[in-house]
Amino acid sequence: MLNKRLSYLQIALNGTLSEVKGVIGLLPASDRILIEAGTSFIKTYGIEGISFIDRLWSYKLGKKGYIVADLKCMDRGFTEVMAAKDSGAQAATCLGLAPIQTVNLFIEKCKELNIDSMIDMMNVEFPFGILEKLKQIPNIVVLHRGVEQLEVSNKEIPYLQIHKILETYDVLISVAGGETFKEVGGAIFNDANIAVVWKAFSENPSQTAKLAKTFLREIR
Amino acid sequence: MILERRKKYLQIALNSNLIEAERIIQNLPFSNQIIIEAGTPLIKTYGFRVISEIKKIALRRISDEDIRKEYIKTFPSSMQFLMAKNFTSRQIMVDCLINKGKFSLFEPYVVADIKCNDLARKEIAVVSGAQAATCLGVAPIETIDSFVEGCRYFHIDSMIDMMNVENPLLVLKKLKQIPDVVMLHRGVDETEINKEKQIPYYQIRQIKGNYDVLISVAGGDTIEEVERAFFNDADIVVVWKSFYKNTEDTAKIAQEFYKKLKVSPANKI
Repeated sequence: MLNKRLSYLQIALNGTLSEVKGVIGLLPASDRILIEAGTSFIKTYGIEGISFIDRLWSYKLGKKGYIVADLKCMDRGFTEVMAAKDSGAQAATCLGLAPIQTVNLFIEKCKELNIDSMIDMMNVEFPFGILEKLKQIPNIVVLHRGVEQLEVSNKEIPYLQIHKILETYDVLISVAGGETFKEVGGAIFNDANIAVVWKAFSENPSQTAKLAKTFLREIR
Repeated sequence: MILERRKKYLQIALNSNLIEAERIIQNLPFSNQIIIEAGTPLIKTYGFRVISEIKKIALRRISDEDIRKEYIKTFPSSMQFLMAKNFTSRQIMVDCLINKGKFSLFEPYVVADIKCNDLARKEIAVVSGAQAATCLGVAPIETIDSFVEGCRYFHIDSMIDMMNVENPLLVLKKLKQIPDVVMLHRGVDETEINKEKQIPYYQIRQIKGNYDVLISVAGGDTIEEVERAFFNDADIVVVWKSFYKNTEDTAKIAQEFYKKLKVSPANKI
């Protein structure tokens, strides 16, 4: 569903319904902006929350927007993907650290329901080790630096992994865990297709709506 | 820790929808040794409000008569005769019992199976009403530390789910604080595809020998598996499949578990 030749900015939303409404209102309408219903948001509001985001973003775009349901699926791949699809999501995430059977079922179900499968490699030392074991390759591999990892250990984003994965597999790469325009640009410069930001948008929406506009202007 | 050491608990995981959940809860025997789990799919479908919904459902199964008996007991014996003749609405009686510290009679122990993997502090802060929450053992260590710390702060039990963790001891060694409960887990997808995958019973004594924690075993569904887990020193056994597939049989199965658990029915009000 996503174009490999374009770069995308994925904005993760984890606030309250009114905060989410405010942030979406500030964002520039563009196909290159993907909206993520964050895990905490989904756990708080359920699939109704995803539908709420879908309605707002699609209204703003004037057509169906691209919504990522950050399910971080760990078990029961089947049930959770069904729920995400029903709520209007175009992509769902599964943890790379989940049992291989779960990841396989998750990808299979995503293909069947025609939504993009994203495998989140947070805390995975060697994403290759996981990809090698899979029956089918996912649409998107997410290289992730967790929020606590960033705050406590200041862990680096694993840019090195991007080329290694792209050389072997026909997937899109999403990089999560950067917040500044420099970091977003760095991820795209290092061949990532999607850069995910979350903190800036929840802490200072107006300042960061500018980041989205700069992204659309400066990065193709 | 809210749970008591030396007691055995049966944890019923609710994973389908609220209608099924209601049917299952209505059929459960009264006991404070039965724990109700708001499963991950249920939370992701309904959001955290599902926890208060579960509590409301649990409250509905208590008859007006039982509530009235407890309500009357809260008055001095000289007044009980008069109160028995008075009509008081169910809501007023419940509110009164809650105000007089009898809330535990109505409030089941609910585990929010949030399977936290990131943003621990944020997620714990919003798990309103649950007595325990879960965090993944495969999550970054910083997240687990933050989760355990958050649970202590909010006075809820911390459960670390060791699904897909080869050696739980290695994870526990790295932690700043030890969680209240360690869950040894065999995933649903794993079980269905690889029927030979065993619950790692040998790890129970390994962990208990080193750490002062309760052990919860998840992934078994027959009465034999539950018995085996308790025999192997597990403190909590989580069941889901039997309850999920045949709601009609729930009462029977729950009663049987209840007998095997040998819990005292004195907790029924």
